[in-house]
Amino acid sequence: KDKDKSASKDSTPEGAAKRQDGAETPKQQLLDIIGNMKVEVSYRKKLQQLKASENKKRAMNKLEGPDNEGSVPQGITEDTQRGRPLNPELVKAASAVASSLPRNKKQTESELLAQLRRHEETTDKQRKGGTINIRDVISEMTIKRQSPNHREVRMSGRISLQLDEDGQRLRRERSSAQSMDSRRYLSLKVGKRLNIFTKASTEPEHALKTVSSPTIWDLEFAKEVAAVTAQPPRNGFEEMIQWTKEGILWEFPIDNEVGMEDDAEFHEHIFLDKHLEGFPKEGPIRHFMELVICGLSKNPYLSVKQKVEHIEWFQKYFEEKKELLQEI
Amino acid sequence: MAAAALCWALRAARQVLPLPCPRQVRSYHVDWRMLRDVKRRKTAYEYADERLRINAIRKNSILPKELQEAADKEIAALPRDSCPVRIRNRCVLTSRPRGVKRRWRLSRIVFRHFADHAQMSGVQRAMW
Repeated sequence: KDKDKSASKDSTPEGAAKRQDGAETPKQQLLDIIGNMKVEVSYRKKLQQLKASENKKRAMNKLEGPDNEGSVPQGITEDTQRGRPLNPELVKAASAVASSLPRNKKQTESELLAQLRRHEETTDKQRKGGTINIRDVISEMTIKRQSPNHREVRMSGRISLQLDEDGQRLRRERSSAQSMDSRRYLSLKVGKRLNIFTKASTEPEHALKTVSSPTIWDLEFAKEVAAVTAQPPRNGFEEMIQWTKEGILWEFPIDNEVGMEDDAEFHEHIFLDKHLEGFPKEGPIRHFMELVICGLSKNPYLSVKQKVEHIEWFQKYFEEKKELLQEI
Repeated sequence: MAAAALCWALRAARQVLPLPCPRQVRSYHVDWRMLRDVKRRKTAYEYADERLRINAIRKNSILPKELQEAADKEIAALPRDSCPVRIRNRCVLTSRPRGVKRRWRLSRIVFRHFADHAQMSGVQRAMW
């Protein structure tokens, strides 16, 4: 049944696979093709790594594109790139697929072949360097059947995206902006300006003017209004809002420094020598105070005020004990 | 203009008077021992700084011994309830002095009660 294929560098495993299919049922053919596909993917990737040139890479990408598909038409699309018109093997494979699928066989077969022809067209365009409008392609394709056609539609979109990544993205974007269907996407600069985000609108500044200190009647009125309008919370969110306002619930994202207003710089925390002026310059007391200061400078939990108070307390204490110290 | 003034007045009032909200308020201590423990905690908080500083003088190998003895006398003169050692971590709900888990401040019986009624967030019966 199978014909011998023309010898090409990548086709040897495939050719072997095709030749094996000889006397088996179409289903067996399918399974064999699928099974061989797995091997060929890895082989293809190895080839890709070896060859560095762009043209070859392109060809490999085209091959890899169809390789990413899970379904059978992989082998079929590879074949198309070898021969321009749809190969007889291709047709045969399509018929095999159609026969394997549970639905209307002739229709699936014809649709698969139509898909392949379209795919061929797109690959030809890419080879020539033409741009692709994926959306036109997809919009044209009628999606009746679920599995094979739908998958192929998505795959073709993905394939063209992959190929475009190589270098044609800019071109695609520009052309897409210009030549896209009007119902789909518009460019950024088309349309009337809405003037939502104009800069520096200075209207609301005039509204809030300085008010004199509130009278008692104002406060009472405000209390009344607040009591009336404060409805019980309708849901958990409003309850949490109320709690946050009261201070029961913290504000998220949690600010570790809430309530801690330490305006002092780091040098005020660490270099505390200037507070040691009231102490004698030599002796055990100085030694002791220097240790105290060393400990305070390493303390991140106290504010500068607290540290200064600490030192001043010691100063007072030692002054009271001066007579005792003089006896020593 | 009037609306702005009203808004400002409302904001001021809200800051002055918190919104009333029904909450569980406990207006008593469970027993006298709990009350005494609360008093001890308060005085310990007040005298904490002084105790720390006087102890820094006492536990010292640099300062002369006479100074340290004077500091000893001073710290002994402070009120007895000011030392943190006298604080007992009682159960918050039942004032039980023993079997209290620190994380929840509850005695084991209360903890079990709430956990079984699924009122302790994240607490589950152990099974492994």
